[in-house]
Amino acid sequence: MEVENKQQVNRFTVPIGPQHPALKEPGHFLITVEGEIVTDATVRLGYAHRGIERAVEERSWVQSMYILERVCGICSHIHATAYALGVEKLAEVEVPPRAQAIRVLVAEMERIHSHLLWLGVAAHEAGFDTLFMYSWRDRETVMDLLEGLTGNRVNYSANVLGGVKCDVDEAQADAIRQGLEFLEERTHHYLNVVTTDALFLQRTRGVGTMTRTQAELLGATGPTARASGVKRDVRVDAPYAAYDDYPAHMVIETNGDLEARFVVRIKELFESYRIIREVLDTLPPGELTARMPRRVKAGETISRVEAPRGELFYFIKSNGTDQPERIRVRTPTICNMASVVRLAVGHQLADVPMILVGIDPCFSCNDRMVIVEGANAERRSWTWEDLRQYGIEHYHQQSA
Amino acid sequence: MTTEETLTLANDLLVNWVWSAESNRPEPNRLDVRLLSSTDLMPMVVGLRVQRLGYLAAITGLDPGPESDEMEVLYHFCAGQAVVTLRVSIPRVGGAVATLSDVIPSAEAYERELSEMFGVAVTGLRKPQHLYLPDDWPDGVYPLLKDADLSALPAAMPAALPNISKE
Repeated sequence: MEVENKQQVNRFTVPIGPQHPALKEPGHFLITVEGEIVTDATVRLGYAHRGIERAVEERSWVQSMYILERVCGICSHIHATAYALGVEKLAEVEVPPRAQAIRVLVAEMERIHSHLLWLGVAAHEAGFDTLFMYSWRDRETVMDLLEGLTGNRVNYSANVLGGVKCDVDEAQADAIRQGLEFLEERTHHYLNVVTTDALFLQRTRGVGTMTRTQAELLGATGPTARASGVKRDVRVDAPYAAYDDYPAHMVIETNGDLEARFVVRIKELFESYRIIREVLDTLPPGELTARMPRRVKAGETISRVEAPRGELFYFIKSNGTDQPERIRVRTPTICNMASVVRLAVGHQLADVPMILVGIDPCFSCNDRMVIVEGANAERRSWTWEDLRQYGIEHYHQQSA
Repeated sequence: MTTEETLTLANDLLVNWVWSAESNRPEPNRLDVRLLSSTDLMPMVVGLRVQRLGYLAAITGLDPGPESDEMEVLYHFCAGQAVVTLRVSIPRVGGAVATLSDVIPSAEAYERELSEMFGVAVTGLRKPQHLYLPDDWPDGVYPLLKDADLSALPAAMPAALPNISKE
């Protein structure tokens, strides 16, 4: 007897976000599913757009540094570095080698904190919360070291135009070495876990596979591209700051699946540990800053650096005054976002969060306006003064 | 290919050999090619792709301000250290460029951003909707144009911005 399949294939469109428990930052995805299988996906960005490119045109070179460092809370140092390197090139200022080496030092420590943060978030999305908690516990080590070095955990403000603010003494160097020893041991353990844990591999191996050609066509960058075999790393291709003296080695994997993205990022941690040790052992003596003119010579320049998520591109134009004429920021996440939408098709809906975190998305980087929308659909914005006043009252109430 | 070889090949391809355009070297690792006509853009990009001269790293809109009739769109291609920039001049109001997304799919996001921030029409773009700006953003306000009147925005929009910069 033939059994008739009465089940209809129904097509549903599932909106995810802008505010959603599975998203750590706001983004809106429209996912069309037939049964459990994703057949189409679109993304809408801009929920964290703050108009930074416009804001810097109305501020001085020094003030702009402060704003650009706040494009992203995770990779603040690399934004400031890209900007400072570009402006220094325009102003024809020679930055002391010690300052350039310290920029590399902080950048690599930032990469460690960013990759460990990502490892935790990705493990959490896979339902592996033990790995999430361990990796975030270990990440505190590097956060403490960054705080010891620069005074801040997140927006370190290590850079100034013309150099860096912070120096490294022997005691700090020893503390960093000690911290790295602990982290290196832990990283070996994590590499072992993500490549051998059978349950975890079911969520990562062969999931979200992107071939090299796809990665190049979709414009992927950073660890996402390197996990698909694209040999591209700005630290290697176009060394900046002190990467000429402390060369980085590119970590390449060819499988292109989520597992490869885990392996690339974890292996990059070892590379960061090695670079940091080299910098600490051979830190050139000398000044930390060079004198920077208030007005920057007219001209245009391009500054490219390797952020934890991939290539960060700055186009800077000066008109000879103390304010920038135009600064264009192209962050790595926008390059990788196209790959998420494309890769999600054909996968189960439950794999979509993993594929999204696989690129290590950073929406704040991506978007760059405070709008508070009330339930009664009345829209208003909080001015700087409102926010400040709110903060003061909030903490008064707390302490009372 | 070294940086020098890349830039020489790009210059031969774009300026000396096929198209008539102007070029200069603002920095040792950069080649700026000024297109004489915006219709040359697409064949030039295909030429760069065929020769495997780099990947599209970004598209930058450049508005000199209301005193000028023209604005520029910059297409940056990177290969190693080398950066080749194609500069296209278009009318400041009502200007248009052809989409590159048929050849380079990753160009779509940059072109949508260019279009909403500068009011440049990108012909052939499959999804011309806003990428970053809100859906209810008023028509005809392009925030990265130098003379953009942001005070015309609803009260929720950043009318507070000029006050911050005065402090």
